Amino acid sequence: MTAHWFSAAIWRVSIWAFLLMAVLIPIGAFLVYGFFGVEGGSIVYTLSLANYIEVASDPVYRKVLGKTLRIAAEVSVLCFVTGYIVAVFINRQRPVLKYTLIFAVAIPLMMSYVIKIYSMRGLLGHTGFLNQFLIWIGLIDEPLSVFLFNLTAVRMTLVFALVPFSILTTFVGLERIPGATINAARDLGAGPIRIFWTIVLPLSFPSAVVGVMFTFVLSVGDFLAPELVGGVNGLTYGRLIFSQFGIAFNWPLGAALSLVLMVLSFAVIAVAGRLSNPGWLRREDP
Amino acid sequence: MKPVRTLLNTIAILTVFLLYAPIFLVMLTSFFSVRRGKIIWESFSFNWYAKLFSNAEIGAAVLSSIKVGIVAVTATLVLSLAMSIYTSRARTPRWERTTISALVFLPFLLPPIITGMALLVTMKEMGIARGVNAVILGHVVFVLAIGFRTLQTRLSMLDPALIWAARDLGAGPWRCFFQVLLPQLAMPLATSAIMSLAISFDETMITLFIVGDGMTLPIRLYGMMRYGFTPEISALVTLVLLVTAILTGALAILYRGRTASIAE
Repeated sequence: MTAHWFSAAIWRVSIWAFLLMAVLIPIGAFLVYGFFGVEGGSIVYTLSLANYIEVASDPVYRKVLGKTLRIAAEVSVLCFVTGYIVAVFINRQRPVLKYTLIFAVAIPLMMSYVIKIYSMRGLLGHTGFLNQFLIWIGLIDEPLSVFLFNLTAVRMTLVFALVPFSILTTFVGLERIPGATINAARDLGAGPIRIFWTIVLPLSFPSAVVGVMFTFVLSVGDFLAPELVGGVNGLTYGRLIFSQFGIAFNWPLGAALSLVLMVLSFAVIAVAGRLSNPGWLRREDP
Repeated sequence: MKPVRTLLNTIAILTVFLLYAPIFLVMLTSFFSVRRGKIIWESFSFNWYAKLFSNAEIGAAVLSSIKVGIVAVTATLVLSLAMSIYTSRARTPRWERTTISALVFLPFLLPPIITGMALLVTMKEMGIARGVNAVILGHVVFVLAIGFRTLQTRLSMLDPALIWAARDLGAGPWRCFFQVLLPQLAMPLATSAIMSLAISFDETMITLFIVGDGMTLPIRLYGMMRYGFTPEISALVTLVLLVTAILTGALAILYRGRTASIAE
């Protein structure tokens, strides 16, 4: 028994030691870093609120954050709507086709994000396929360079990369709706629109909202798409943070800017958690 | 109602199509040359792949990606096995269970930019040099959630009578682990290994913070992409996708029986 107690203690200590080193200390360090400063290319370890005051008072940061939040919201709404349409379509198919399609939607999630951005670049670029297509159908004579290196390209890339999340989460919700519920409503005379608004949407929303959360959190913090397809005017909040770790070399400011991002992400996750587990769902839980 | 439904179905089919089309086009440009918007089918060649294979920098990036993947996944499996078994024991207090879960999921759920930065500042303060070893550490912290979650789910479905029976019959804790528990966990372990490997092989955002002068394949790709869209990059992209396809295929084979039973 003593030996057993001893080995259990070893497990416990090693697990906690790992979590301390790998998670708690990094998060702590990141939180503290925002209070440090930079002078002459090296970090000054004296605590001050200077970074946070700068973040709060400089209108540039607020503007970039506002712009980024708007982009993330637009991307999420677009993903939600498209994801919903696709999920409904897939859910209506016969079982074999249904699961094949769901598998087909899930595969792109396994693919590298950088590759997806690169593909969008191939699609939207000056010699890209979109231009070629438009020339081919005779809509334009010369390739346009308006498609790439702007925030619209960033939006399109984000939707392209994130829409599988919305499709899958919405599908999970739709699949759980018992066919009998819908049949009952139809027997009682409800039309398709009424069935959708009063049964399908409310019952699938708790799942779909998880997808919205994913798309929002991932697009707010993204810096790869803006960096690679955003061009000179494609400054987003994520890119602003990332630049503090590159040329700008201001890690403490980067940490302070990130804290804002973290608080926002947690707020969104909390709201989504609330919406994805509404009162009527909780009551039914045994 | 009919035209609306047709419109919605068209949007759905188009969306699924568009999830793949841009990627297929990239793959095509690695084999064929494109002139004036037309793919020249006669131009099929493996030239860009040959060029790629003679590029020593890319070879080095591939090797270090493989190294990172293997080491990080092995470490992740061992750690998530220990953690999931520890949290699944009835004796582990509830608060400890929830705290460990929360801490394991945190780096995975936070925006990658924050996880990357948190690891970067910690490594700097602890004197851990940026590079391939730092990346291994970063990947373990990031993908741990996958292994932990998969194993924990399986463990929670496991009948504890299995363990009790083994113990009653005189098996020691280690024998119990290797002969009873581990065979039951083979499937989730394989799943986590494949998924973590796929994630580690593609991870870019966290890696970018801690890679320093080291190199992994996605970082190489990121560097090359900054200068444009070339057949050589397309060839590399196709190879990376081939790896993803192999891993996804392995996952599909693993779950073949299971999906078939869902479909029925």
